[in-house]
Amino acid sequence: MIVEFLLYSLVFFFITGVLSPFFIRNNKLINYIAHGMAALGSLAAVLCAIIVFSTGKLQILTSLVMFGEAVYVRVDYLAAYFLLTVGIVGCIVSVYAIGYSREYLGDTCRYRVMAALYNAFLLSMILVVCVSHIVAFIIVWEIMALTSFLLVNYEHEKLETSRAAFIYIVMTHVGTAFIITAFFLLANKAGGLAFLRLIEAAGSLDVWTKNAVFLCALIGFGAKAGIVPLHIWLPRAHPAAPSHVSALMSGVMLKTAIYGLCRFYLDFLGTSFAWWGALVLVLAVVTAVLGVLYALMEHDVKRLLAYSSVENIGIILLGMGAGLLFSAKGNGTLAALAWAAALYHVLNHAIFKSLLFMGAGAILQAAHTKDMEHLGGLIKRMPYTAVWFLAGAAAISALPPFNGFVSEWLTFQALFYLPQSLAGVTGKLFSAFLLAMLGLTGALAAACFIKAFGIIFLAKPRSSKAAEAEEANKPMLVSMALLASLCLVLGIWPEYLLQIISKVLTGINGINAGLAFAGTTWQAAEVHAGTTGGSLQMPVVAALFLVGAIVAWGLFRVYGREQVHKGETWTCGIVPTARMEYTAIGFSKPIRLAFKSILRPQHETVVDLSPNRYFGRRLSYHVSIVDIFSATYRPINAGIIRIAQLMKPIQAGSVQLYIGYITAITVVALILSTWW
Amino acid sequence: MEEITIVITSIAYAVVLIITAPLVAAIIKISKARMQNRRGPGLLQVYYDLFKLLQKDSMVSPTASWIFAVAPFVYFSGAFGAATLLSGGDLFALLYLLAAGRFFLALASLDTGSTFGGMGGSRELYISVLVEPVLLLTMLTVAARAGSTKLAAMSAVAAITPFSLPYLLAAMAFLIILVTETGRIPVDNPDTHLELTMIHEAMVLEYSGRRLGLIFLASACKQLVFILLFVVLFLPWQPGELSPVMAAVWLSAKVLITAVALAAIETSTNKMRLFKVPGFMGLAGMLALLALVAQ
Repeated sequence: MIVEFLLYSLVFFFITGVLSPFFIRNNKLINYIAHGMAALGSLAAVLCAIIVFSTGKLQILTSLVMFGEAVYVRVDYLAAYFLLTVGIVGCIVSVYAIGYSREYLGDTCRYRVMAALYNAFLLSMILVVCVSHIVAFIIVWEIMALTSFLLVNYEHEKLETSRAAFIYIVMTHVGTAFIITAFFLLANKAGGLAFLRLIEAAGSLDVWTKNAVFLCALIGFGAKAGIVPLHIWLPRAHPAAPSHVSALMSGVMLKTAIYGLCRFYLDFLGTSFAWWGALVLVLAVVTAVLGVLYALMEHDVKRLLAYSSVENIGIILLGMGAGLLFSAKGNGTLAALAWAAALYHVLNHAIFKSLLFMGAGAILQAAHTKDMEHLGGLIKRMPYTAVWFLAGAAAISALPPFNGFVSEWLTFQALFYLPQSLAGVTGKLFSAFLLAMLGLTGALAAACFIKAFGIIFLAKPRSSKAAEAEEANKPMLVSMALLASLCLVLGIWPEYLLQIISKVLTGINGINAGLAFAGTTWQAAEVHAGTTGGSLQMPVVAALFLVGAIVAWGLFRVYGREQVHKGETWTCGIVPTARMEYTAIGFSKPIRLAFKSILRPQHETVVDLSPNRYFGRRLSYHVSIVDIFSATYRPINAGIIRIAQLMKPIQAGSVQLYIGYITAITVVALILSTWW
Repeated sequence: MEEITIVITSIAYAVVLIITAPLVAAIIKISKARMQNRRGPGLLQVYYDLFKLLQKDSMVSPTASWIFAVAPFVYFSGAFGAATLLSGGDLFALLYLLAAGRFFLALASLDTGSTFGGMGGSRELYISVLVEPVLLLTMLTVAARAGSTKLAAMSAVAAITPFSLPYLLAAMAFLIILVTETGRIPVDNPDTHLELTMIHEAMVLEYSGRRLGLIFLASACKQLVFILLFVVLFLPWQPGELSPVMAAVWLSAKVLITAVALAAIETSTNKMRLFKVPGFMGLAGMLALLALVAQ
């Protein structure tokens, strides 16, 4: 009952949020009402998820009849888990939006549309995980795609932005086409469009349908999640949107694609095949490594974060792939471990990536640039933003005791046990390769976020804009602080979330969640197959870390207080300036050279001799890196253009001709229909 | 109750490790000096240096922020935490605690706005990116056999494994990692202050006084942690059952031998170019893979 009430009130809040910008005059008031409604609605979603988990019942609500069939809104554990993710992040981002949107208040017309779209976007993401009917799902999915497209296109007068939005809308619709195909292949066998029917029919699918549906879902949702090579829209579109929308897109929207994959692979397809897992693992590892490599090479903060999202989707998929492999081989306990790793990372990434995007938004608003080469020294101007950004950076670099470490550790464990389901040297080598690559990803991610934080916040400001930056306003700081503390809480006490995840995984075919989480704590996951696995007690790790700090403090103070003398950084007798500091491009250069066969950097040095021939010449150095996979799209582009050229004669532009076409098609359709 | 005992014993281990770590650094230094026909410092000189540093005041650049002040503590806690986990913790947790320390030290290197610092941080991360996958591969040769990433389980399995070729290969691979992770020739040079060659030293160039002392102690501790990992996992042989005292003596002897071996490596080779390091790491990776396949 209460869940129904919450869901209705949630929809009511969001609809109010959508409508309010068009009925209220005062822009400031709109800011509070629209985003406040979004925050309330998200809060209702969180409550709804919590109630579902605590009462432990599957909630089904019949709401309306469409296409002769009842369309269900159904919140089961899986949906509730993603509802929790969307809700938590959505609520906090909405608070942030109250502060962040102040900058946009001047542009009345556009601002109102943005506030309305923001609500619609958030609502569509909440509904995507709740509806349980193919048609309803696709409608909501499309609303999500379109609203986010419009939000990406917010600054449409910029050529770059409108191109990014265009690529995004094309890619997302390619994805949608595959998703629809996957759904209808299933619906055809199940004889119904409701998700419950599809789940019932899961056992009776033949091999070919299963494989086809698996691939279609992988491509369809993969395009939305940003799996390499379908990721090309992501680093373009996410940075183009206003920062609070970027936070939602990277933090939450990608997770709805993961939800789709989970729904298909856990519910609709029944038992999996081993090659599915292997394929997902290979794609995942490529996605993770390439994503983080490109992230490290970026010097635009928001693009860097977007590429890092690609990487994290790769890490999530590593867990999922291992899970598919384990359940295909009948190793239910390990499958639960792997899926738990994936699901844990879903929430983790949602939290720290939206935190980092919010930080990037604060920087953008304060210094009016996203280019790291023009930033620097912000830790003095924006001390709080710096702390919260640092927390996010530490979490995403998987440093203990933050939450990123927990999910990365679980993923490491899942991959480590891979040889138990893949016998022989192949399994051993595959597992070793994946572990090494995950290690590489971790090290690269740490390097990437050291670079991001170090260049943006530390040393001297590199431009006057950075030197005059001002601290973000209160709602922004409060929301960042909330997410940062969540990072810490989920890192030190992971067992609560793991218990929730074990509920999600209970009762799913091929996964033995009950055994994996038998004890009161999650260390029970180690008990399997007669070997003792690694175990981890995060509070203990955190405590040991703290003891280390105390010992260090003790040593520091053995001889009493120190006196600190100020002395300028030694630069061989010259007054140090920001130009002597390491740049973002310079900082990542050794790694760029080490991976140059993958990255293929194009660099040029421009020497300007005009001021003086011998001394004080102006030098500038440019590096451009083109995503290797964007080249793979060129033949496809060329092919489409060629087909369009061929079709040109048909499109002559005369109305009579078009009426002729319509008539001809109608006649053909009539003839065909008589044959049926 | 049992858990608390474990935690307290592992803290005690770590304290012992912290106290003895400078000694191992001193042994390396002295044996290196002897091999190069120098007298070298006395055995306790490192401790004198350390206490001297812990008494001194600091010189801090006005450009630096609180990150610069906090980083040595985090670096120290990371090394200390790794030392505590050595007796019964998890491998990945140990590695990531060390990574946390490195994370902050690299940030601190950028904090003062000096070119040297940035250069050191940039190179340190470059090396860490190359080392990380190979380190995991090498560790996997033992962990895969143990079926666990718990260090206790790994060392137990290592202790009962008979000598074999794969073992030798894995040990060679880890020796390369050991040299790299401890910042020694041929990858880095702990004694240099020449701008073109330093990596770790460049990162901590701006530090002075007590914070430098902490960094020095933490580096020594990290070095001992890696030497112990090498000794316990890759040189596990001992003559039959030993009493705890004899086992400790035996372990110290192996640490001593490794320390002298490190000095010998440092004396007999010269520093390689920075961009040759990937090949060096590739060699270690290949050895580890061979060991893994041959098992």
